Amino acid sequence: MAYPTATMDIIGLWLGWLLMLMIYTYPLYKENVTYRFAEHLFIGITLAISAITNLSNIMRMCVTPLMQGNILMIVPLVLGLMIFTMLIPEYRWVSRYPIAVMVGAGFGLGIRGTIKPNLQDAIIDSITAPSGGALIDWFNYLWVAVGLICSILYFLLTYEHTGPLKAPTRIGRLFLMIALGGYFGNTVLFRFTMLTGRAQFFLQVLKLIPM
Amino acid sequence: MSDILKREVVYAITGIITVLMLLEYFFFDTSQAWAEALRTWAVIIYNISLFLGAIRLSIAHSVRIQEKRRDWQYSGILMAIFVIQLLTGLAAYITTGVATNNGIYNWLFNYVYTPLGATLYPITGFYIFSAAYRAFRARNIDAALMLIAGCLVMLKNAPVGEAIWIGFATLGNWVQFTAQVPGMRTLAIVGALGLIAFGFRALLGKERGFYAGGGE
Amino acid sequence: MSLGKLADIDRRVFYWILFVALMVPFLSPIGFPITIAPNTQDLYDGITGDEVNEGDVWIVNFGYGVSAWSECHPAVTVCTKALFREGAKIIFTGIHVDLELTYNKLRDTCSEDFADKVYGEDYVFLGYMTGGESVVAQLASNIKSVYPADHFGTPYDDIPMLEGVVDHSDIAGVLSSDTGDYGGHFMTQWQGAYGSKVAEIGIAMNGSTDLPRWQAGNFFGVSVGSRGGAELELLIGELGEATTAMDSISVSHLLLILAIIIGNIGVLTEKLGGKK
Repeated sequence: MAYPTATMDIIGLWLGWLLMLMIYTYPLYKENVTYRFAEHLFIGITLAISAITNLSNIMRMCVTPLMQGNILMIVPLVLGLMIFTMLIPEYRWVSRYPIAVMVGAGFGLGIRGTIKPNLQDAIIDSITAPSGGALIDWFNYLWVAVGLICSILYFLLTYEHTGPLKAPTRIGRLFLMIALGGYFGNTVLFRFTMLTGRAQFFLQVLKLIPM
Repeated sequence: MSDILKREVVYAITGIITVLMLLEYFFFDTSQAWAEALRTWAVIIYNISLFLGAIRLSIAHSVRIQEKRRDWQYSGILMAIFVIQLLTGLAAYITTGVATNNGIYNWLFNYVYTPLGATLYPITGFYIFSAAYRAFRARNIDAALMLIAGCLVMLKNAPVGEAIWIGFATLGNWVQFTAQVPGMRTLAIVGALGLIAFGFRALLGKERGFYAGGGE
Repeated sequence: MSLGKLADIDRRVFYWILFVALMVPFLSPIGFPITIAPNTQDLYDGITGDEVNEGDVWIVNFGYGVSAWSECHPAVTVCTKALFREGAKIIFTGIHVDLELTYNKLRDTCSEDFADKVYGEDYVFLGYMTGGESVVAQLASNIKSVYPADHFGTPYDDIPMLEGVVDHSDIAGVLSSDTGDYGGHFMTQWQGAYGSKVAEIGIAMNGSTDLPRWQAGNFFGVSVGSRGGAELELLIGELGEATTAMDSISVSHLLLILAIIIGNIGVLTEKLGGKK
């Protein structure tokens, strides 16, 4: 995107720059009026955008097909409206019906979907020995296989981790710490990339670097 | 009778729909119309339920403005921008079918929502930095392993790591592709088993936390 | 200055150091070389060459909002360019309320590739969907039920490229770019259920969970955050936003590691000295 030339776009760009600085006054200085102003502005505008986007989605998926003759669409519409009884204390129990539909579908799909990728494929890949003969491949294979077994044993919470379980669960905990460390390393990249994007925007609006 | 309507019928609906989803997957080769209908209904209900948050928030802030509670002015700003964006967007949606066809809505979307949305979440990057020198202490073997693994992955992700020493990239890759795999796979497997167990409990009507909103 | 005094320094001083340090590499680029990770190479190989036939219909899912543009958008840009250059047709979907902004940004970053493509024939923007695993599962069995019309209101049946596109079997592959769980939903409800080709273009945080899935064959490729984006830019030969950001990423990561080392020197000296 090139640096805008239209007046309203330039005003918008600088407004965005100022709003960004208002948000950054919180970590870089302290909580203040400008930060609270920008924060509430964001909540209000997000609320409106979400409302309109969801409304257009409901119209597209449910109301328009209903008006075009798909009578069955009255069912989810009525069930969906029943969820607003949550706002009326004496009729809150009515909202359990649409929740039951969502929970039932969610659990059914979740159970059937998780078996192959998260259980079958994961375990098979972990216990499949390498076809090559390189020492490092076999080391890695043993690392993953032993680590998986020990880590799963760590989550065996119905037995006390003593006696024969003591050593493997301790090893499993160490494997989990390594995994969480790797996760932390990736989290740092994520958080800093977002900050980098803002630093870049800061300089682009000032025309210190090209947009 | 009302107790049955408030509890048993609800649990039965949950259980029946769960079983129908499983039946379709395990006993039919192609997707079935009745299952598609149930899924579509669940999606539509989910969409409608998202308005609940908007309504609750609007009520809360409106009450705050009405009663002039502490910092009510911020609630005023919130409601003002909410109303402006909502009305301009609705006007465009009703007349043209696309909300962003309204100039004001589009301008606020691009120049207010975008910078604010892009700025609020990255604040956590600052906190990671301060946590690094204040809280991340390798006081025992567990914490030391976690820190070492984290640093190796960081040096692998940042090109400067390989520039300092190619070994950092090698070690970082080993952590990413081998060392952390048992732990992450364990979390996936345990999560999957937990989901299955939780799902069957919901199917049998033993999980009632979702229905707490009903008051009983 | 003793380490104790370092710890007493107001944390805002460190925030300012970080904020300024992030900007310096943009003003004075360094240009560290980047190597390609095997997961990124697999992703690129899966969307180019013999893996993609002309006319294949792919889904590109915007599972990220404006806050994650710098993480996910460069990789999505490269993948979109690659698919278009192979002659594939693309269905754009999304799960965030600001997905229209992301779609417009993609049209801007891939402007040359979009220029000779016709809306409705080569690509279509179906728009917003939400509903978690349910909507992804329903998308696999009947796309039209989730999208009776595209984002602009054109009925599904009036869109030429969607003629004959009914369910998962008519989709050659899915690229899901996520800050959350939708890549996992596509994995369980598309790849796990029907064997569809699915790849993940995720934020770096998702890399730890997605790399084992790539190794197990659930994803044909994974791009990990902005680093993955920079690698993809190198593969396609068009350096862009992610590559530009890598210098800044390098400086910030070095600062963080330095902070960790400084914070731990005290602990280390205590242990070596044998003190409690």
